[in-house]
Amino acid sequence: MERTEQIQRLSYYHLFIIFIKAGLAFGGGLGILAVLEDELVTRRKLIAREEFLTTYSLGRIVPSGTMTALAVAFGYRFGGLFGSLVALVALVLPAFVMTVALTIAYAFLRDGPLFTLLPVTILPAALAFIVAAALRLGKDLMRPSLDLLLAVSALSGALFLDINPAILLLAGGAIGIVAFWNADAGAKP
Amino acid sequence: MSLVELLVLIFTFNLMTFGNGPGMVPLLQENLVDERRVLSVDQLLYAFTIARVTPGQANLYVAAVGYMLFGFTGAVLSLLVIILPAYLMLPLLRGYQLLQATHAVRGFTRGLTSTSVGLIIAATIQMGDRALTVPIAWVVFLVTLALTYLLKWNPILSLIVASGLGLLLTLVTQ
Repeated sequence: MERTEQIQRLSYYHLFIIFIKAGLAFGGGLGILAVLEDELVTRRKLIAREEFLTTYSLGRIVPSGTMTALAVAFGYRFGGLFGSLVALVALVLPAFVMTVALTIAYAFLRDGPLFTLLPVTILPAALAFIVAAALRLGKDLMRPSLDLLLAVSALSGALFLDINPAILLLAGGAIGIVAFWNADAGAKP
Repeated sequence: MSLVELLVLIFTFNLMTFGNGPGMVPLLQENLVDERRVLSVDQLLYAFTIARVTPGQANLYVAAVGYMLFGFTGAVLSLLVIILPAYLMLPLLRGYQLLQATHAVRGFTRGLTSTSVGLIIAATIQMGDRALTVPIAWVVFLVTLALTYLLKWNPILSLIVASGLGLLLTLVTQ
């Protein structure tokens, strides 16, 4: 089937609905991606899967988070500059409202009798979430490789030598440019 | 510390970690908790929990940090400085042919991700040292890790179950 390269537009209302749905998806980036794929590719057939994936991989390069990058890209494609704004606002609105609400709740908790319970409930759980995030990010590192070496060096540099994490990050990135220049393009960045 | 300083920090950290939420934790911990002491370990941990239990992109929890330090204005502006770089997408889509740059960026992000993993673990060890002070905290920590990572439970459910357990253990042992 041939697909004509014709720019379809979506109403701002539809853009808003699609992206607020995406913004309500749990599971971080991949959850959002699943919603967008379903809405734009499978159901509305507004965009070919290949183009969707290309946009996604370009979005990974943008230093703002992949999903906000996708909101700008698709919002712009289907609704111009204002469309990108609509998509972006819709995407971050649910998380923003909940984040602020929960932060206000924290201020209350802090002054109340429940505060003494935080160190044995939510805070250790939070630490576990961070470890889990690191483990998921590092799933591909757990074999002898340069990636693992970088991770271990960063760990020891920060923990034992007290080197500033920002410096370690930039150094890691710079080593990555040289070391992975000819690496398989399919490898996860 | 002024609001502008905070915004510059968040903007820079976000760019450096390519918008990776967990990746920003070590940077925020080093700068806001250890160096400037404007945020406590507890506050940073709470902010990060919010990121896990709310929908949406994982780096949006900086809005919580912004709110803790500068109220609603801080929250809105912190959010803005992390999402505005998304507009780089427009020139990037147009200049898709910049394969050379993509090559470099790929290597850079891969090196960055590996470094990030090490740094995040280092940060958790440092924070754990201060946050996991009683045995019950350890129990909650390990249970949450098992539920969310090994059993792949949804974060909200893991949080409720593990926190409930911590609450129960505290009440029982008191």
